[in-house]
Amino acid sequence: MLVLLWGPAADLPLMEVRYQLEQLDVPTKLVDQRRVLETEVEIVVGETVGGHIRVGSESINLEEVSAVYVRPYESVNLPSIAAAGPDSVEWAHAMYVDDLLASWSELTSALVVNRFSASAANGSKPYQLEQIRAQGWKVPETLITNDADDVRYFWKQNGEVIYKSVSGTRSRVSRLRAEHTERLADLSSCPTQFQQYIPGVDHRVHVVDDKVFACAVQCGADDYRYSENDVPELRACSLSEEIEERCWALAVAMNLSLAGIDLRCTPQGEWYCFEVNPSPAFTYYQHATGQPISQAMALLLANAAPEQYTTISLPLEYNPTRD
Amino acid sequence: MLIILAAPSDKSAAWLVERWQSHDAVLASAADLSTSGWSLYSASSESKACIGGRKVRNEEIKGVLTRISCVQSHDLSHIVPSDREYVASEMTAFLLAWLSNLTCPVLNRPVPGCLGGPALRPEGWTYLAARLGIPVTPVRRKTHDRPFVPDNLSTCELIVIGQACFGDASPKLIENARLLARAAGTNLLAVRFTGPDSDSTFANANPWPDLASSQLADAALNYMSVSAC
Repeated sequence: MLVLLWGPAADLPLMEVRYQLEQLDVPTKLVDQRRVLETEVEIVVGETVGGHIRVGSESINLEEVSAVYVRPYESVNLPSIAAAGPDSVEWAHAMYVDDLLASWSELTSALVVNRFSASAANGSKPYQLEQIRAQGWKVPETLITNDADDVRYFWKQNGEVIYKSVSGTRSRVSRLRAEHTERLADLSSCPTQFQQYIPGVDHRVHVVDDKVFACAVQCGADDYRYSENDVPELRACSLSEEIEERCWALAVAMNLSLAGIDLRCTPQGEWYCFEVNPSPAFTYYQHATGQPISQAMALLLANAAPEQYTTISLPLEYNPTRD
Repeated sequence: MLIILAAPSDKSAAWLVERWQSHDAVLASAADLSTSGWSLYSASSESKACIGGRKVRNEEIKGVLTRISCVQSHDLSHIVPSDREYVASEMTAFLLAWLSNLTCPVLNRPVPGCLGGPALRPEGWTYLAARLGIPVTPVRRKTHDRPFVPDNLSTCELIVIGQACFGDASPKLIENARLLARAAGTNLLAVRFTGPDSDSTFANANPWPDLASSQLADAALNYMSVSAC
């Protein structure tokens, strides 16, 4: 058994999971992205998937890995790589290390939290929203458009509307207000996402394998993550068995062993789901609530038996297309 | 309308637009997404597009051929340089949702991470082929041995379009090419083997084969026409 952690050593979720794995005496190796220029990777794929990672004098046999927690950033954003520039040997090396490790993590029979192929839907919020809807969740009415007239009509139909990025690029969720009307003329250059505003209390639910950790967020801001004047209050809470079950089922349907699910409960008690984060920075919530999320992660990784995961190691599910 | 989603510099795409002119084929590129008229409503077929200045409702689109994996920032010369990367990312995310929402035939249907269908790495294709029982040559890639040439052994290419398969090879290889395309969930796939004989091994695959030949273009058109019925 060997647990592999991949990402920058200073990443908080990675650090806390690493600490918990040490408490459990689980053999663990960290592939620290800050040492990418010292990192060599070799993968061999045929009927089996194998290879090695070497960082300095240390070598990791990838066939011994039973579980992986992937929290990489783009290596080219590391100061040393960015400074070297896109035409440098350093840049090419960093890109290649990222590519090889990403490729291996897609194919290995080890437990991977989470595979990039499972996480990729989060790169398009409207695409992911349809996955969420397909699992039976209520989702806000959504329009993605570069047509100002369509926005005005959607706004009129829904009363209150928010706008946010379409892609996975982090953006602040903001309410569309009268003073924005003039800027609607700028919409034509790129489709923008608008959503029906849903009033209520935000909940962040972390699903770790079969465990569900729910946290209620009291905050008056449109986006509590960026709230300055109204400091969000986070508290651990219990969900009904039905909502817990639906959160778990959603993570399973998306092939996510770890998921950060954004819900809102309306004053009428209706639950809406906005997004599922496949690589949540759960430490923010863990520190506020005391919920043992990193411990649950460590247990999940420690107890992984590779042969369990061979069925999801195909890059794509075997599904005939709709055409 | 038939839409070919491609870079403006894509000569094969331009050739296909010309060939499919009588089927109202148009080229759509990233610049079109900066023309007012695109709307995608959740859970609705009322969505619409604006291509080459023509507004079209989704139900009027009879087929789409996608020849890009994503919108690239260098395709956005009309956007201020500081915004190009962000806009490229937003347009790519929009197109994934928009293409997925279409009910007409789409070659290939997008997957998260790639607008043109499954963009597996060489070892991904190899592992998928091996899992299907197709003989493979193992792929070895390493950081200290760049650049990697994935298919330098291949001498035989087969093109799968729907149920059809083009190229000269043994029936066994043709069957394996079809099997791989089906398993990958794609209706357009080039599959390369080390040779045309039945004992040849899988070398690589590519979901964006060049269709700029009469035979392949007609097959793709036929696929979209038949599947749309």
